[in-house]
Amino acid sequence: MIELHRVSKVYSVGPVKVPALSDVSLRINKGEFVVLTGASGAGKTTLLRLLYRDDLPSDGDIEVFGYELGRLKHRDVAALRRSIGVVFQDAKLLPVRTVYENVAFVLRVLGTPKREITQRVFDALRVVGLSSRAQAYPAQLSQGEAQRASLARAIVRKPPLLLADEPTGNLDEAMEDEILGVLRDIWAGGTTVVLATHQAYLARALRRRTLTLQSGRLVKDEG
Amino acid sequence: MLGFLIGEAVRDLRRAGRVAVSAIVLITLSLAALGGFWLLSVNLERAVARWRERVRIIVYLKREPAAAEAKALVERVQAVPGVAGVLYIGKAEALASLKQLLGKDASVVAQLPTNPLPASLEVTPAAAAATPEGAGALLERLSTLPEADEVAGSGDWVERLSQWQRLLTTIGLGIGVVLAAAAFLTVTTATTLILHARRAETEIMRLVGATETTIWLPLLLQGTMQGLIGAVLALAALVATHSVVAPRLEPLVNLTLGLPDLAFLPPVSVLALVLTGALLGGMGGWLVRPGREP
Ligand SMILES: Nc1ncnc2c1ncn2[C@@H]1O[C@H](COP(=O)(O)OP(=O)(O)OP(=O)(O)O)[C@@H](O)[C@H]1O
Ligand SMILES: [Mg+2]
Repeated sequence: MIELHRVSKVYSVGPVKVPALSDVSLRINKGEFVVLTGASGAGKTTLLRLLYRDDLPSDGDIEVFGYELGRLKHRDVAALRRSIGVVFQDAKLLPVRTVYENVAFVLRVLGTPKREITQRVFDALRVVGLSSRAQAYPAQLSQGEAQRASLARAIVRKPPLLLADEPTGNLDEAMEDEILGVLRDIWAGGTTVVLATHQAYLARALRRRTLTLQSGRLVKDEG
Repeated sequence: MLGFLIGEAVRDLRRAGRVAVSAIVLITLSLAALGGFWLLSVNLERAVARWRERVRIIVYLKREPAAAEAKALVERVQAVPGVAGVLYIGKAEALASLKQLLGKDASVVAQLPTNPLPASLEVTPAAAAATPEGAGALLERLSTLPEADEVAGSGDWVERLSQWQRLLTTIGLGIGVVLAAAAFLTVTTATTLILHARRAETEIMRLVGATETTIWLPLLLQGTMQGLIGAVLALAALVATHSVVAPRLEPLVNLTLGLPDLAFLPPVSVLALVLTGALLGGMGGWLVRPGREP
């Protein structure tokens, strides 16, 4: 379902070249729960961004859902992204819309009928434990709440693939467990999950397949 | 989906705030100017058409022909290209109509020792000869008649009126186009502000796989809305002005131009103005959208 073949990514910042990923090859099958770990700056976010075609690799090939990402038509880029739910590391909530509107937004953009939207948004908010904050604006949320809103938005479309970039980044332990529980439930429902975290103990606690990045190289693939 | 697109477009319009208001005002002004000149032009054109029908060319004759000669002359002139009708007016007839014109002062005429009025032919030009060039050529042709003493056309001022009408149309178009360009630029500016304000939305839309149409249609819609609001305001202003000014101006117009009333724009023109507004706004909104992501 996901296949990377000798993928490298070099960011150019003016004349400076920043290597973010080097020669990464891997394969993730449908229905897997994979933890992507590594220190800050190891390249986790970069890898996830390549998967939903937010950026293109400098070298190598990527295949997701059978799409060859290197040469994808714009229409297919949109189609690919519709099958992927993403929890962004920086949440990316729209500041002038309430939590409810933020989650509903991604359904409305795709033309979901209105009747369906309310039901699905509240279901998603209940799953992440944010029902009571539906009418709050992002600025009124704690960081943990913002991340849960972002998670609700990612799962509201029930995508076959969920990419979660540090969804527990700002949460206390109890909330961390709760989010991991949510992810596990979603995975149990048939969704393939890739969870990026710099907290090594999370990876150990989850006891799932763990990919470890170090300075852009895939140094371990275990479990 | 349509509800979503329109909702986003309205939100966009509100975001552009004062700049969107300026754009709407400019569209209103440009369309009102265009419509205003158009309205004047339409009425002048009516006057010109009315007067063209009434244009007569008078051929004054050197001497009064005998009855048989007059009949032959009329037939000859009738055959001149560009002539629709010919009426012979003898000296006596001319004097009679002068008397009738003078009414109670007709006694003045009676004191004349001889009839000073010449016999004449009243020529009605054909429609094809009713253009300035056609009328000139006809005048020329008629003055070569050996019997003609002098040829007078009443068409000159009609042509001048027609020239005024064309000038007015040109000025109106000029002012309209300049204002429309300004309006277009303002719509563009408003839309650029909107683009900046909605970039977070645009990013999310893209990342969740919205189609390009969904992403950019609100932009087109908000521009079109600016144009439509401007057009409706301009039309309202024109209707209001027309209904207030026209009745007051009608006596004057009646006297000088011979028009019974000042007409409003025909429905086609109204539609054209609305479409121009919508197009102006829509293009302004549509053209500034950035290219696709890499
Ligand atoms: N847009 C960018 N332009 C230039 N350099 C970038 C860009 N994004 C990331 N980098 C660099 O690429 C490297 C990998 O960054 P990345 O965000 O993938 O790390 P990460 O593993 O997600 O880190 P963290 O745990 O802090 O989120 C870093 O050195 C970073 O500075
Ligand atoms: Mg990261």
